[in-house]
Amino acid sequence: MAKDHEPTDDSTDLALIARWKAGDERAATSLVARHAPALARFAVSLGQRADVDEVVQDTFVRAFGSMNSFRADSSLRTWLFTIERRLILDRRRSERRRRDDTSVDDVDAATEFDALDEIVAEEAESRVRRAVDQLSRLQKEVFLLRVNEGLSYKEIAEVVGSTEGAARVHYHNAMRAVKESLYV
Amino acid sequence: MFDCANVEMRELLADLAAGTLDDATRVRVERHVASCAECASELETLRLVRSAYAATPTVDVRRIVAALPKPVPFPQRAHGGHPVKRWIDWRVAAALTMISVGGLSLAVAHRRSMEVPPRDSTAAVPSVDTPRATPAKVAVAGGAPSVSHDTTRHVGQSGRPPEKSPPKAQLAFAGGLDDMDDASIKALLGALEEMDRAPVAPSEEPDPTPVLPVIKTGQP
Repeated sequence: MAKDHEPTDDSTDLALIARWKAGDERAATSLVARHAPALARFAVSLGQRADVDEVVQDTFVRAFGSMNSFRADSSLRTWLFTIERRLILDRRRSERRRRDDTSVDDVDAATEFDALDEIVAEEAESRVRRAVDQLSRLQKEVFLLRVNEGLSYKEIAEVVGSTEGAARVHYHNAMRAVKESLYV
Repeated sequence: MFDCANVEMRELLADLAAGTLDDATRVRVERHVASCAECASELETLRLVRSAYAATPTVDVRRIVAALPKPVPFPQRAHGGHPVKRWIDWRVAAALTMISVGGLSLAVAHRRSMEVPPRDSTAAVPSVDTPRATPAKVAVAGGAPSVSHDTTRHVGQSGRPPEKSPPKAQLAFAGGLDDMDDASIKALLGALEEMDRAPVAPSEEPDPTPVLPVIKTGQP
């Protein structure tokens, strides 16, 4: 399994934040290196097919700009996911306003397959992605945060602005839908 | 396609795939998966999903770090280790304390001035000693003085403090009947009867007495 899939250490994050606040720029580099891959994956899983690097950068800029408001009630990664999700939704809204004649969701879905197919060509994985992409947006977010990032239902609820129980239901519905799509 | 009935194990499959379980739990879940076809299938699906989304777009960490804002410095202290802000805070706190204490004193003084002496309500009754001078303004049913024999009497229960020198023509009365002893009630009734006997000219002006609750005295 990829290294960046490993669970993060919250205490390390807090220590790095403290060092960054004290003026240590290397701490900022460490924080970005620890969380950027997960943020990039999450952006892709949300259908962000272009400018992923820019979205991740904007997320960090916004997070570091308001680091004093981070109270460590949740993990830093959960907080970063929350910020990134909001950024992506804002971007989509403004894109939708620009292209109000076209259904953005349809375009997203079609091009998302193409972009991801370029990354991974294996048939099984491609089928899995298709199955996951058929989920509703919220189901997909919950499912991938749970499976890919290993977030708890509580953390997922924080990211998507829902409840722990609702996140659990979304996850199990998504799992059932994916299995049906793959094996039935 | 069935789901495993062991909900606890099913819930932990995603954590097992993500590698976030502690050793003891991981071993327990792995043992379960080894003997459960449904969970083994679900775990395989989870690993496929992780694999499908494992490809991470490259991100330029250095570029991101260069774009980050600088940390906001902690509040600066004045030289000599005496924080200016704290000094100001003390002054504000002292001013607030003075205002609070002053306000409290005023409130206490005001409350004392409003307090009703225990038997002062009945003491006001004898002041109705000149009912003949002007029409007595006793709240009576119908507002007419001719109902002197009516057993229904209106008694103010506003609870307002008694005025020190109520107008002579008015029956001063504060508090309720419950506050009065028998002697006081008799004195009050006597005064009322005396007022009823007095010749009264109907007033041209509207009765300024507010509508008061009706209390049945039960007297014949």
